[in-house]
Parts: sequence; C-alpha cells; structure tokens
Amino acid sequence: MTDLGTYRAKAAAWCESMVPAFGKAARKGLSVEEDLALGRRYQKAKFDAGYAGINWPIDLGGQGLGHIEKISFEGEEMKHGFPNVYFGISLGMPVPVLMQFGSDREFVKERVLKALQGEEIWCQLFSEPSGGTDLAGLRTRAETDGNGWKINGQKVWTSWAQYSDYGVIVVRTDPTVAKHKGLTYFWVDMRAPGVTVRPIKLAGGDSHVNEVFFDDVKISDDHRMSPVGGGFAVALATLMIERYVATDSAGFGPHLDLFVELAKEVKLNGRPAIEDGRIRQQIARNHAMRAGLDSINRRARLMMQAGMTPGPEGSLNKLVAVRSRQKLSELALDLQGTGAFLFDEHASPKDDWASSWINAPTGRIAGGSDETLLNTIAERILGLPQDHRPDKGIPFNQIPA
Amino acid sequence: MSILYDEGQQAIATESRRAIEARVSKDDLLPLLQISGKYHEGFWATAKEQGWTALALSEDYGGLDLGLVELGLIAHQAGRSLSGAPFLTSSFGAAKAIELYGSDEQKTRWLPGLASGETIGAIAFAQGPDPLPAAPPVRLNAGQVEGTAVGVSGGLFADIAIALVSEGGSPVLAIVDLTGTERKAVDSFDNSRCIADLLFAGAQAETLVTGDAARAAALNILALQAVVTAHEQTGGAEALMEIARDYALTRKAFGQPIGAFQSIKHRIAELYGFVELARANAIHAAAREGQDDFITAAAAARLSATEAYDTAARDCVQIHGGIGVTWEIGLHLHMRRSRTLALEQGSSFFWEDILVDRLAGAGA
Repeated sequence: MTDLGTYRAKAAAWCESMVPAFGKAARKGLSVEEDLALGRRYQKAKFDAGYAGINWPIDLGGQGLGHIEKISFEGEEMKHGFPNVYFGISLGMPVPVLMQFGSDREFVKERVLKALQGEEIWCQLFSEPSGGTDLAGLRTRAETDGNGWKINGQKVWTSWAQYSDYGVIVVRTDPTVAKHKGLTYFWVDMRAPGVTVRPIKLAGGDSHVNEVFFDDVKISDDHRMSPVGGGFAVALATLMIERYVATDSAGFGPHLDLFVELAKEVKLNGRPAIEDGRIRQQIARNHAMRAGLDSINRRARLMMQAGMTPGPEGSLNKLVAVRSRQKLSELALDLQGTGAFLFDEHASPKDDWASSWINAPTGRIAGGSDETLLNTIAERILGLPQDHRPDKGIPFNQIPA
Repeated sequence: MSILYDEGQQAIATESRRAIEARVSKDDLLPLLQISGKYHEGFWATAKEQGWTALALSEDYGGLDLGLVELGLIAHQAGRSLSGAPFLTSSFGAAKAIELYGSDEQKTRWLPGLASGETIGAIAFAQGPDPLPAAPPVRLNAGQVEGTAVGVSGGLFADIAIALVSEGGSPVLAIVDLTGTERKAVDSFDNSRCIADLLFAGAQAETLVTGDAARAAALNILALQAVVTAHEQTGGAEALMEIARDYALTRKAFGQPIGAFQSIKHRIAELYGFVELARANAIHAAAREGQDDFITAAAAARLSATEAYDTAARDCVQIHGGIGVTWEIGLHLHMRRSRTLALEQGSSFFWEDILVDRLAGAGA
C-alpha cells in the first residue's frame, strides 16, 4: 500500500472507532446545545488523535501534512455523520486567515490551539443585508476612535455566530474611494459590548445562521489584520484558502444508492418503480453526473499528490451536485407520494429526502450562488467579459442607491 | 491505468491534433455531405500513416500495444476536427472482437490488416432501435449468413464485419467476410460515415462466440467502441464550446460583446460543465478497460458525452444567431455529427438501461 493508502486506512479505522461515541445513533434526539457539546468532545478527540489541523503548521498545533492527507481524512470522516459542522467555518476560513495575517503571534497560537480542540469557535462576518455576492459593496463602517476603531452596522447569514467566541470581519473605513479600496479587515471578540447576535430561523426549521449587530463596538488597532484600505485582498485570500476541501458528488444530500433502494421498494402503476423508464433515466443521468464529479475529484487528488495544481474544473462540484440533489430529492418525494408527508426537521439531509429537499436551496445560495459560480466559470476560466457594473470606479459614497 | 495523462500520452494528444488539423478542414468536409459513398481520404491516410489504426492492438499482430486511454486521446482530437471517416472506431471494434474472442488462426488472418488499416472493419449488431437484438434477424447456417444488417457505419467500405447473428435460435458473434456482399448505401445526414445496409446472401462467416456469451461479448465490444466515441463526442463538444466562446467575445450587440450578457455567458459556462463531466467520465472509463466495472464506466461516459455534444451543438448554433444556421459556417457539421455519434454504438436509452441494471443489481 502507498503511504497515502496507509494514512487513509488508519484514518478510516479511527473514524470507525468513533462511531459509537459520536455517530448518527449517538446524536439522535439531542438538542442543538447537547449536540454542540458532543461536537466539542469529538473535536478534542480528533485533536488528540492527530486529525485536527492536518495541513497546518506544527508550531501552531497542526500536523504539518499536505492538502491530500487532509482531504483523505475528510473523505473518511464524511461517511459517518459526526457532529463536526460547528467547526467547519471556524477552522475552514477565519482561523487559517488569523494564522496568516494575525500580527500578535502569541495570541494567534493560543487561539489556534483552542479552536483546534473545539474550545473556541470563530465566525466569518462578511455578508450584509445589502448584499452577499457583492462583498465589496458592504456598509458596516469602522471609524477611528482614539488609537483604535469603533464599528457600527449589521452583518447577516453569519454561520454559528451564536456559539462563536471570535469573528473576522470586513468593514468600510473609507467611503470616499472606490468600493473595494475602502475596506479593512479585523478580528472581533463576539462577547464585546455592543455586539448583538440574533439567530435566523431558516426554511428547514434550523437556525445555524444569524444577524449580527454592531453598535459602537470599540476595538484596538491590534485587531487589524490588513493595511487600512487593504481589507478586500485579505477577504479574497480567505475565500481562496478552502480551495482544497473534500467534496461530495451527492451535493451533501443522500447517496444515489438510497434512491435506487427506494425505487426498488416503491410501486408505480403496480410495477416496481425501478422498472419505470422515467425513474431509470433519472437514476442513470444522476449516476453519470456524480461519476463525472468523482473522476474530476480523483484526478485533482492525483495531481496534488504529484505536486501539480488541480485544474479549474473542480469549481463545478457545488454547482452541479447541489442543484441535481435538489431535483432528485423532489423526485424521491414524488416516489413516496402521500407517504412522504411525515417530516422530521431534525433529520439529516444526507439520508432523509425531505430534509435534503427543503435545505437544498441554502446549498445553492450559500458560498456563491449558482449564478455567481456560472459568472466565475465564464469570466475566470473561459475569459468571457465581466457583467456591466455601473458602480465600477465610482467612490462608494457616490454610487446611486 | 491512471486517469492522469503522462508525458507520452500528452504528446499523443498534441501530435494527433497537429496532424488532423493540418489535413482536415471544414471546406473539405462540407462537400462530402452531399455525396453518398465518399469519405475524407486524407483523414484515413493520416490515421494509417500515424499508426492510429494499430495503436490499441496487440504487438503480436502488428499493433502498438497501447490501450483505450491513448486511442481515446486520438478520438478526442478527431472529434474536435470532425473525423472524416468512421473507420478508426469501427475497425478498432472489429479488431478487438477478434483479438479477445478469436482463434490464433483468425487473429493471424485478420489482425495485421486491421492494424495497418489496409483492412477496414465494421460492426453489425444493431437492428434499428435495438443495439443488441436478443434474436438477431441475420441467420447463420453452415458457415454462411443470410439477411440484412441495417445502417452499418463504414459498411460501404468494410472488408469484414463483426456481426451478431442467430444460429438455430441462439445468438452467435461472427466474423463475416464481406467480399461479394451487396451493400445498399444509406443517403444520410452525415454522408462521410459511409453507412450501408449489408444484404447478406451466403457471405462466409466464422464463429467467434456462441450462446449467451455472444451477447455479453457483443456488449463488451460495443462498450469499447462507446468509450472511443465518448472521447470523440467530448472533443466535438469542447470545440463547439470554444467556438461559442470566441464568437461571444467578438460579436457585439447593444454596444458590448454578446458574451457580457449573462444569458450568453451562462449558457457557455454550462457547456463547460457538460464538457468537463464528459471528459472526466471518458478518461475514467478508458482507464477501467478490462475491469469488472468497465461496462458501468462506459455507460456513464457514453451518457455524459452524448449529452455534452448534443447540448453544445444546440447551444453553439443558438449563440451564433442567424449566421449559425448557414451552410457556409459549417456548425451543422457538428450538429449532424453529434446526432450520428449519438446513434452509433447504442442510443442513450440503451445505455441508461445498461447502467441502471447494474446499479440496481439482480432482479431490477
């Protein structure tokens, strides 16, 4: 077996051994708070076993391995439904950015270690009521206040802010220059006076995202993680950090096998649905799509192993997988007819069709909507022109509302 | 076999592209559409000179001992430039049938000619909508075949056909010597495919496989050809995506390139998705040749590639507007070819069923 094969086999065995304590059965019936507490214990177990911060520097508490080991572990971990969702954003973006751009190295090290062990959670305060895709159009402002800064405004769609200890934030420090030139990047203490977090209940019934209000929140200048006016570049760096993540050709919905099983159980016109041409066509098309993504991802892993940069086709994963998950979930409900009405809002979108269906729109919007992803493919990969942007080059405070 | 091309394989891609682009042009291909019974001789000569006919065949009989991955790379380039004849795929399928299921004597007799390209092979399995008929209407009796094989690509010029026939009610995979067999040319929408009905009247035939195994063998040959074709379809789709992109960058309307309108740029970005999924599935399938899951991988490759090429043909013409439907611009060459390749080697309906039967397991 190759070194990587051995690594993955060990990771698989470890994940397997965690199932009794942290698997789906152990999580069943827990409140969110109880599940989070279990999640913190799971994250600590991961850290102790050497599976936290796999590709992070050793001197900051990581394992010093490569992206390839990280996604190998994640590929195994993903199979079991462990309570790791609370740490995904935290360890995915804000903490790596802190490692890269945080100025006080002792502070950075302390935070990284606590985050890796599940003791502290970080959130990312980017989107605002006025826009998400148009990040540089944000309105939350920071004004100088003595030697520090004072933040006023509102963020929204902030995942896990209600459980977060810290957050990274992009704010406007100069409204008189073009929109992306007047931004600055900071970290904030989510417990600071003036920070108010209000959970938003989503369509599926859960509340993992929040509105976050800032009313005269005072921070010192050592919270700054970019040059004044240089925040947009750091924000882009944040979004680039997670280029190499384990992907799921099921679009984080149920595996196609579950659909095939359902089609074998259910009858249409007195015959098993699996014999119905309409159902067969959907299964075949879905399989071909997922197999294509799997092959793209396998090739990306091989390229990483060979020290090459994977091609841009990896950007198709979310676009293609999530919208087809949405359609397949609708079809799975169709197959069950009135039997599909029974709804458990705590069920997992990975193995429950109704949960997958009702939460699918979030997947098509969060982290870059379908339309934004298509624009990115068209512009960055194919070299097509940018859309017409009437606010281009105009000082922020002169952009027509 | 890895799904990551090595340097040698990348060189095959580059060299075949250069060779085909130097030899085949739209201006050569357009007139062929209106003549029945002619193929692009320059294309086929290039294929023989470059050794593509020998590429994926055994060294023991004049081949180069490479595989489906390498042949796929050539087919991809042939798809980009619209290959001028169907023989690269049809002769490969015929040769693989003999290589995998033939006797030493049959191999010695047929393979060197197929490898050099002097002998042209064709596959005669399909009867209209049925790519692998359970009861083939062509009958084998005492080493001779009677009956008609309908719509055989390359049939006008083939020297031998691998046919699925019946003998005493049981299927047989056979080599049919086409010497003296009457061929009725099919005047098609893609005439360089040299499609013909083969009117068998006592043609000499040799048995390769009999009984249920004959059908399984025929499916395997069809899958091998489907993977080559999937690369060709992906190449065609990729070329169309690039043509659409280039046009959208130069054509202006309302004071800007039409590629700045999301209705256009998103359509082209979607084509990128179809092309990359098709490419990934085609590479994967080629790398699975000879493995247990080969048929499943071939079916997925076939479905993605047909969808990619059909969609690209449709959308590329649409993005061009009026100029796209003119004879001269030649996008209809791709429209025609995308449908031809969708019908050769079994339609999407066929491969959907093959795939779902395997995914659902026994009893489905």
